[in-house]
Amino acid sequence: MNVLVWLAAILFLLMVLIGGSKGARSFIALFFNFGVIFMTILFMTDPNADPIILTLIASTIISCITLFFINNVNNKTITAFISTIITITILIFFIAIVTDDAMIQGFSEEEIEEISMFSLYIGVDFVKIGVSMIIMSTIGAITDIAISIASPMREIIHHNPLISRKDLFTSGLIIGRDILGTNTNTLFFAFFGGYLALLIWFKELSYSIGEIVNSKVFTGEMITILCAGIGVALVIPITSWITAYALVRTREKNELSK
Amino acid sequence: MSIVVNTFKKITCKQILLYTMLTLCFAISVFFVNHNHSFYERPIAKVVETNLENTTEIIDMNNNKDHLFTQHIIAKLQNGEKKGQLIHLTNEYSSSGAYDQEYHAGNELFVSIEKNADANADITGTIHDVKRDKHVLIITWVFIFTLLVIGKKQGLFSIISLVVNAALLSYALDIYMSTSNISLIWVCGISVILFTVFSLLLINGFNEKSYAAIVATLLGTFASLFITYLVMLLTSENGLRYEEMQFLTRPPQLVFMAGLLIGSLGAVMDVAITMSSSIFGLYEKNNNISVKALRTSGMDIGKDIMGAMTNILFFAYISGSIPMLILYFKNASPFGFSLSINLSLELARALAGGIGVVITIPISLYTAIFYVNRKKARS
Repeated sequence: MNVLVWLAAILFLLMVLIGGSKGARSFIALFFNFGVIFMTILFMTDPNADPIILTLIASTIISCITLFFINNVNNKTITAFISTIITITILIFFIAIVTDDAMIQGFSEEEIEEISMFSLYIGVDFVKIGVSMIIMSTIGAITDIAISIASPMREIIHHNPLISRKDLFTSGLIIGRDILGTNTNTLFFAFFGGYLALLIWFKELSYSIGEIVNSKVFTGEMITILCAGIGVALVIPITSWITAYALVRTREKNELSK
Repeated sequence: MSIVVNTFKKITCKQILLYTMLTLCFAISVFFVNHNHSFYERPIAKVVETNLENTTEIIDMNNNKDHLFTQHIIAKLQNGEKKGQLIHLTNEYSSSGAYDQEYHAGNELFVSIEKNADANADITGTIHDVKRDKHVLIITWVFIFTLLVIGKKQGLFSIISLVVNAALLSYALDIYMSTSNISLIWVCGISVILFTVFSLLLINGFNEKSYAAIVATLLGTFASLFITYLVMLLTSENGLRYEEMQFLTRPPQLVFMAGLLIGSLGAVMDVAITMSSSIFGLYEKNNNISVKALRTSGMDIGKDIMGAMTNILFFAYISGSIPMLILYFKNASPFGFSLSINLSLELARALAGGIGVVITIPISLYTAIFYVNRKKARS
């Protein structure tokens, strides 16, 4: 049997065994997310569709699945959702400028041999597809931080109902800072693992520093890693502010209705 | 006004020093990277003027429409013997830009100069690549400042951890390259131990929480590697396509396994430290808490983080294949073939990483409980 089927079966078994029904739901969410990425790629092959808009739609659906399907709809998942979307929108503009300036779209010399039998003039905009690729690679981490900040903030206002909005915002920042290190680490190592073959190749050809730093492949991957880090950091103040705002507003509304 | 004074009071001498140093580094590095042309041996030319010469519409064999443009570029050489002279270049690009690029005035390009018999004729040449170092530098600084402003001390730690781990990996690969008789798995296995110890001690400091997390991380990572290896053996790697690594002269299986080991490490560390911090947190709140209570709360925390961590890995791996998949689909490659060639390794990595994450939940739970019990027995 196929390696992938086996691994998927083992993962499913472990998730159900350890996570129970929530584990099963997380596993199903993975499949849904895969489906969303896959559909997005299919839509992107249409030259008339704008990959950036497709990415925004896909990110919205993916964060819905990750936040609402695994964690149910409530005020903490809603603020986490809004924060994710805002962060991703800001990030898209930033990455679009960067990828266009650095000219890292499409394929590199290193990959070109593998695809030599293909026509490269396929009418889609590879700059925008590059933006989409970077956004998609961080969206899991961004939604995770958003929910990890929003849910303890709700606990804080629950235990300390008179807390001011500013203090609530600051406590959100502190929570965010605590998870920043481990979350960036998760992404960095995932990227290192994925790029290992490439790193070995660079070493094999003994590229000079000047050649490495200016090559499309290395620049592209550096920019992916750094943009992922920026996104993970950016979501912290955004979520803290939005959650503080939403929680304090609900509190004021409740006081008024009393 | 008082707010401004207060904020100024809060800034200590140390911070002022740090920020001045950073700004200084920033200024110097930006200046350097914009004036480093003489350090390159390859000729660099800065585009002065571009003229669009020709536009053609093309339709390829799969009915994809695209536009081809020809651009005449006049650029000024920035280094070498002919520094300051103008060079004439031609550039062909398409509107999709998969392997080509439109250039604008101000872009800096690596070129090669053609030898002309006639000394008075215009210098001509061909374009090889773009000078990208200044873009990498700027984005690196944006990254550093974002992490420092938002993350403060923790932001600084993530930057240090990224730099040190990258350097460690690079050094480990150097060792692997220079000595042909060490297996890549061993090199990466030892690096994994170093990465784990360094990152967790940096994030969490020297305490029992970190020790428990280190033990759990190592057990979890190697357990997931072992499971994946076993599956690969049993299925004789059926379904894994190593074509995307065909440029390597080394056995792709080993490179894949080593990548798997390193790739899942971050996520596994995250789970291990979250679990061990929460277990120790519960114990410190209530010294008499029963093992059973610890186990139930630990499992609840594990359930919460499991989905998120597998999701992060999944997206980080899969999304890299998006451009390649689009190219395959647009070239009318068979559906299943395109998927298996471009996604099999990424999916396997994501699934194996997921297994590592999930298996680390009970492992780190019991390691933390073991350390808590030891602490209890001592006190």
